[in-house]
Amino acid sequence: MPSYKLTINSESISVEASPDIPLLWVIRDMLGLTGTKYGCGKGVCGACTVHFNGSPIKSCTMAIENADGGAITTIEGLVKEKEIMIKEAWIQLDVPQCGYCQAGQIMNAAALLVNNPNPSNVEIDNTMSSNLCRCGTYSRIKQAISLAAKNIKQ
Amino acid sequence: MKNNLDRRTFLKLSSSATGALIVGLQLQSCYRKEEAATQYAFSPLIRIDTDGWVTLTAKNPEIGQGIKTALPMILAEEMGADWDKVKIEQADFDVKYEEQWAGGSYAIILNWDLMRKAGAQVRYALIEAASIHMKLPTNELISNNNRVFHKISGKSMPFEALLEKAALVDLPEEVAFKPVEDYKIIGKPTPQTDVKDIVNGTTSFGIDISLPEMLYATVRKNPVFQGKIKSYNEASAKSVFGVLEVIELNNEDYGGRLLEANSPNFVNGVAIVADTTWAAFKGAEKLEVEWDNTGLRKENSEELFQRFYKQLSETKIERKDGDIHKARRKAAKNHEAIYEVPFLAHVPMEPMNCTVHFRDNFCEVWVPTQNPQAIENGLMKLFQLKPEQIKIHLPRIGGGFGRRYYGDYAMDAAVLSKKFGKPVKLTWSREDDIQHDWYRPGSVHKMSVSLDSQGKVIGWQHILANASRKTSLGRDGRPAGTEIDAYDFPAGFVPNLQLEYGHVLSDVPLGQWRAVAASANAFPVHCFLDELAHMQQIDPIDYFIAFLGPARMVPVLGDYEFDNNRFLHVIEKVKQISNWETPLPKGQGRGFAARKGAGSFIAEVVTVEVEANGNLNILRVDAVVDCGIIVNPSGAQAQVVGGILEGLCAALYGEITFRDGATVQSNFHDYPWIRMKDVPDVRVDFIKNNLPPRGLGEPPLPPAIPALANAIFAACGKRIRKLPIAGQLLN
Ligand code: FES
Ligand code: FES
Repeated sequence: MPSYKLTINSESISVEASPDIPLLWVIRDMLGLTGTKYGCGKGVCGACTVHFNGSPIKSCTMAIENADGGAITTIEGLVKEKEIMIKEAWIQLDVPQCGYCQAGQIMNAAALLVNNPNPSNVEIDNTMSSNLCRCGTYSRIKQAISLAAKNIKQ
Repeated sequence: MKNNLDRRTFLKLSSSATGALIVGLQLQSCYRKEEAATQYAFSPLIRIDTDGWVTLTAKNPEIGQGIKTALPMILAEEMGADWDKVKIEQADFDVKYEEQWAGGSYAIILNWDLMRKAGAQVRYALIEAASIHMKLPTNELISNNNRVFHKISGKSMPFEALLEKAALVDLPEEVAFKPVEDYKIIGKPTPQTDVKDIVNGTTSFGIDISLPEMLYATVRKNPVFQGKIKSYNEASAKSVFGVLEVIELNNEDYGGRLLEANSPNFVNGVAIVADTTWAAFKGAEKLEVEWDNTGLRKENSEELFQRFYKQLSETKIERKDGDIHKARRKAAKNHEAIYEVPFLAHVPMEPMNCTVHFRDNFCEVWVPTQNPQAIENGLMKLFQLKPEQIKIHLPRIGGGFGRRYYGDYAMDAAVLSKKFGKPVKLTWSREDDIQHDWYRPGSVHKMSVSLDSQGKVIGWQHILANASRKTSLGRDGRPAGTEIDAYDFPAGFVPNLQLEYGHVLSDVPLGQWRAVAASANAFPVHCFLDELAHMQQIDPIDYFIAFLGPARMVPVLGDYEFDNNRFLHVIEKVKQISNWETPLPKGQGRGFAARKGAGSFIAEVVTVEVEANGNLNILRVDAVVDCGIIVNPSGAQAQVVGGILEGLCAALYGEITFRDGATVQSNFHDYPWIRMKDVPDVRVDFIKNNLPPRGLGEPPLPPAIPALANAIFAACGKRIRKLPIAGQLLN
């Protein structure tokens, strides 16, 4: 069984796994970090979004062999000051309904705000449209992103 | 109704070295001085600890409807708790909790009095205790913020100082509820109980359960409903690294496809047991299998709808008022139209899953379910167990929408865990979820109306033909008029009215979807009314108001009356807030619909733009809601917005089709869901009153569909009579 090195939430680890296992399942079933969710397994819902070397990716579509040596951040590792401010905006606006899609939403939103601290509504729409929310929390997500952007700037 | 929650069984909890030890004793015998109690459980729902914290039990399954917050808010309000010093614990399934299910928008309706009573009883005990301590009459004392206050002097005592004496008070059967004007918690926007854990990724949904030595499993299911297994090649799956076992699962060996009503058994297939979910999924994909589908209907959508159309002329009358035929002969004008509604899937964001640890004749289950009782019934039947041999935990659920009313996904997990004597987490893929749902039935509606010379409706006929939820899977039985009910709108409003149902038998598994039959039936009814308004060149809202007649109670069926006052009120209000009368630019239009559902009244206006090239943009939705008292305005607003988006999304794209007895769609690429960039601005206005709270999960959905279709007509003149809208030419 091949072995792969990863940095996950700032911790260096190595895992032995079948080369084609998607990162999603390494994270969930092998590392026990269940905040990252399975929704479609095809890269179309965004529930499994994590940061890979700083960029948001759909972890269900990246095989471990392509992730070797990479640095991954999951929702559990989203603990920098600005990231916490995003989570606080989510809490303040009571964004989640069932909550299942929210880790993916927050991961995508966090990456958006790093690259673009002042996103317009259209930019938020375009970026966040890769994440599906079956419960329909979209308008609160949008408000939370704007609120977080404002709070981070201050 | 007998209420188990206020039984005079007093549990006193005392702490042992390692934590709370539950001592279930009658109050009188458990009150012993030498044993210093730290936790006082006044009922299975309310516990107060000597550290001043109140722990409330959230008894119902949380599927995102916010019930884990709303029910404890009612308890906290009545007892006078301090919301910031309240902890909320999710209950396991237990019959003592009563009405422990999620469906039909019933949770608040059914639990309003149960929760108020449980809270008020504890308030009574605390005030009695304070009266003894403070030597003051009880009628001068109130409880608030985890303290009992003297109204006159302002002197107060904390709950924790009252516990010993309060524990001795007999909880009264009759107890006065707090006046609405005094509410401090109810009516205040309150973030969801689990919101912090959700944003930190630490909430454990069913799919996140992990137990020592747990095996991961999935089932490669026969795609054809009711199909069986002919043969399979075990080695083909075992070639996948991580696959441990390959096991054939025939539901006939376990009591058949339906264990009892609402308790379906698993779908026939081959289970793959592995060391990760991924290995199980991959093993299932690699498995070479031949199915046995002999003797099945192997239905196709086209053929199924043809049968629905045929059935329009062979119906059972569900309601008959006056004489529609006479009205037709007398009428100045008759008009008819046929509407068509597709099958829909639920697609909750968290795919179906269940974790079971079956050992020593004891079955412990972690299951995201709306209906734990049905799961218990199913397990009892499957393994001849008694209720005490089953324990059902209710983790937070990633959406339900009716899908999780049916616990088929728990049965195979239990069978596998029993076989291995180890915990098994069974996960369905998204493909399994979409292809083996309990679909919202598609239907065909023939609408006929007779108008007098003033354009007033004197005759109304609604014929609905489809396959009924109650006889899905091709099982025989009385259709029981389930898809159109004798009380359906506009029953009671038209002197000559006939509602008819044409029943077709089908192998497709059918079930409740959010708003159940209203999710389909609101579309033809309210679009047809819109047609009538336009036919006569009358403003659709004015026409509808005239159709409803004066503000009054309208007798509908038995003692069920429709409150036309409240209905007219939401309609007039939505007309205002949507700027209904302000003209729109060319290519834009507004559509209206209003319904009553789960006791709540909702009026909605959708504004759209249809571009010259036929592109449709939904610009805005206005909704006015009268649901009585609003327990948690934040959760209530979310439910209304969510319901409206779901209605719009279903109207735009929702369609499940069948080919050769199997579902064609398989994932979000071909069963799309609305995305942020297509989401309109939704403005919700609640009518404030002190009437008992009513349901909100379902009622916002049905009117959104006709309101959208009516808006499209207003914008471009295209009458939508068939859903979904996507794929139809609008220019
Ligand atoms: S699970 Fe990865 S995008 Fe849906
Ligand atoms: S909150 Fe339920 S799917 Fe987004």
